[in-house]
Amino acid sequence: MKRTVFVLLLALLVAFGGFAGGAKESAKTRLIYMTAGDTNMLALGQNVLGPGFQQKYPNVSVATIHTGPGNAGSQRILEKILAEAEAKKEVWDVDVAMVHEIFMKWAMEKDLLLNYTKELETWKYVTSPFVKTSLGVKIEGYGMPMFHSQTALAYNPDLVKDPPKNYAELKEWVKKNPGKFGYNGIKGGMSGVSFVVGWVYAETGKYKKYAVEGPFEKDEINTWEKVFNELKEFNKYVTITGGNVGTLDALNRGEIWMGPVWVDMFFTFMNEGKMDPKTRLLLPEPGMPGQPMFFVIPKKAGNAEMAKKFVEYVTSPAVQAKEIVQRFNWYPGIDGSYIKDSVPPEVFNKIYKDVTPQDLQKKGLSFPLAQYFDAMLESYEKWIK
Amino acid sequence: MLVSSSASRKGLNVPSYLFLLAPAVIFMLLMYAYPFLASIVRSFLDKSGAFSFENYLKTIDLYTKDIAFTFSVTLFNTACTAVLAILLAVYFRIRQNRITKILSAIYKLPLFIPFVVVAQMMNSFLAPHGLLNVALAQLGLIDLKQPLQLFNFAGLSFGFLWKQVPFAVLIMHGGFQMIDNSYIEAARSAGAGMGKVITRVLIPMNKSSILVSLVLVYSQIVGTFTLPYMLIGGKIPTTITVDIAHRVNYFRDFGVANALGVFSYLLVLLTAWYYLKTKLGETK
Repeated sequence: MKRTVFVLLLALLVAFGGFAGGAKESAKTRLIYMTAGDTNMLALGQNVLGPGFQQKYPNVSVATIHTGPGNAGSQRILEKILAEAEAKKEVWDVDVAMVHEIFMKWAMEKDLLLNYTKELETWKYVTSPFVKTSLGVKIEGYGMPMFHSQTALAYNPDLVKDPPKNYAELKEWVKKNPGKFGYNGIKGGMSGVSFVVGWVYAETGKYKKYAVEGPFEKDEINTWEKVFNELKEFNKYVTITGGNVGTLDALNRGEIWMGPVWVDMFFTFMNEGKMDPKTRLLLPEPGMPGQPMFFVIPKKAGNAEMAKKFVEYVTSPAVQAKEIVQRFNWYPGIDGSYIKDSVPPEVFNKIYKDVTPQDLQKKGLSFPLAQYFDAMLESYEKWIK
Repeated sequence: MLVSSSASRKGLNVPSYLFLLAPAVIFMLLMYAYPFLASIVRSFLDKSGAFSFENYLKTIDLYTKDIAFTFSVTLFNTACTAVLAILLAVYFRIRQNRITKILSAIYKLPLFIPFVVVAQMMNSFLAPHGLLNVALAQLGLIDLKQPLQLFNFAGLSFGFLWKQVPFAVLIMHGGFQMIDNSYIEAARSAGAGMGKVITRVLIPMNKSSILVSLVLVYSQIVGTFTLPYMLIGGKIPTTITVDIAHRVNYFRDFGVANALGVFSYLLVLLTAWYYLKTKLGETK
């Protein structure tokens, strides 16, 4: 019995070894690029970044692997890299990955990443404060931002003549227009989460403590009962939509008149003709969170040098201007001033029309320190049920 | 036969056919039994790995309503599936004409459509300004300013029934086909009306396939994630599966996720036990 099993296992191993070996023999370097995010991130890798990079480096072929939207997508990348680390593999499969902020915290805790960004030619263009700390964890050197994702309130100007400028005015607005404000709760995607985090910042006025300086104190959480009871009351007058896309769809169909959205998704929808071009954006006081999507290189990536060149390519002002800003209407990962000249003014004005660079500077907040973040999400479940 | 002789040398009398079963059994143990047991064990471990009821306390504190909601959605839809599927299957059994032929070709369609597609479909069909409401408004039945709100228990049930009734019909129909016409004729000649034939002859004779199909429908509904996630993901209450995804995606909290999993096992336990019992009964 044992022998039979042993022989079978051996045969299997040999067979797998053969496959694996076969793949390695190809002359081209295969750069494995794993990306979290919505399907647009897959399209970006497959149709834009991969081919563009291959043109520059003909000996490289970029294989884009897509893991899915939201934290779950980043989570899958983490599982893959963590599994390789725990199996004590010498060379890891994933060469470069595109991840959310939360991934940085998870991966830093497990020491899975390469410290590389300061070696990049393009590091000098990065001015975002988000590259220093992420959810309270020091990440400088480990993550290079490809673009900045910001949440904001989208609204239909035909139906909302005088949009609320801050969270307090919004509270009044929903009472006058019940059911016309929609968001997706906290289990239906990050745009809803972001709205709730902004709510806590607005109600407590403690953005600095929760998101920038810390420290984490358990007693803070006990002061939130009122904050979430207010939100519970607020929820009575709003529509809960079916996800990030659900909010955008509901806006477009006219079911709701206002709701929090990711600005990048919003513009993608508009470019694809899925959103009324009249729809406007606003960042209410004191602001709403956003986050960059980061390039990371796993610590033992097989093609780390090539991966650095890939990141350099994507964060170069030319590609940032042409692909990230002009094609997708996303906020660039590098400082906007370096790309302004290479982008047609109408594109630049479109993405910065409602939410100006000054707005972003002042009201583009970050997500809270991880412990506060967890506590906010759990408080929502605790008080609003 | 070297293998079995070495076994008997140790004094064990293991029938050799067991070795033929071994690959399948090992696969089942490794891929099904192990994860299942591990998830139960881990639901009792806290973050440091020590035994505790912490995960359960949190689950009960935060998710009791969701567990009850999941249970009621599941029960309601299984009951509705039972009624609709039996009616359809009996109809297919008794009437065989052009209409049933067309119907029996069409009704299988949902079987081949994955839940995620169903969810997206329901999303645009049931939305306040979706296809259904707009159509009803065109007919003058509703006012589009006060559309039917269907992203809730009702809409979720509609989605589940759309997908699950055909599946149940497929299984039940096979059972009804096995019943010989002579039983029906005998009942009719003894004076039974159509209603009596259905309730006294057809349904009792096909009891096992009806119950088996409902058990399968029941456990599928408990375990479905995409449909509730896309229709009522952010709402309160929502289903256990959405909560599990939330615990894992936002907190990497596998402890509470496992505890929630254990609750869903409990929900299907009774029906699973019944399923196994009937299945084993049949093989005897």
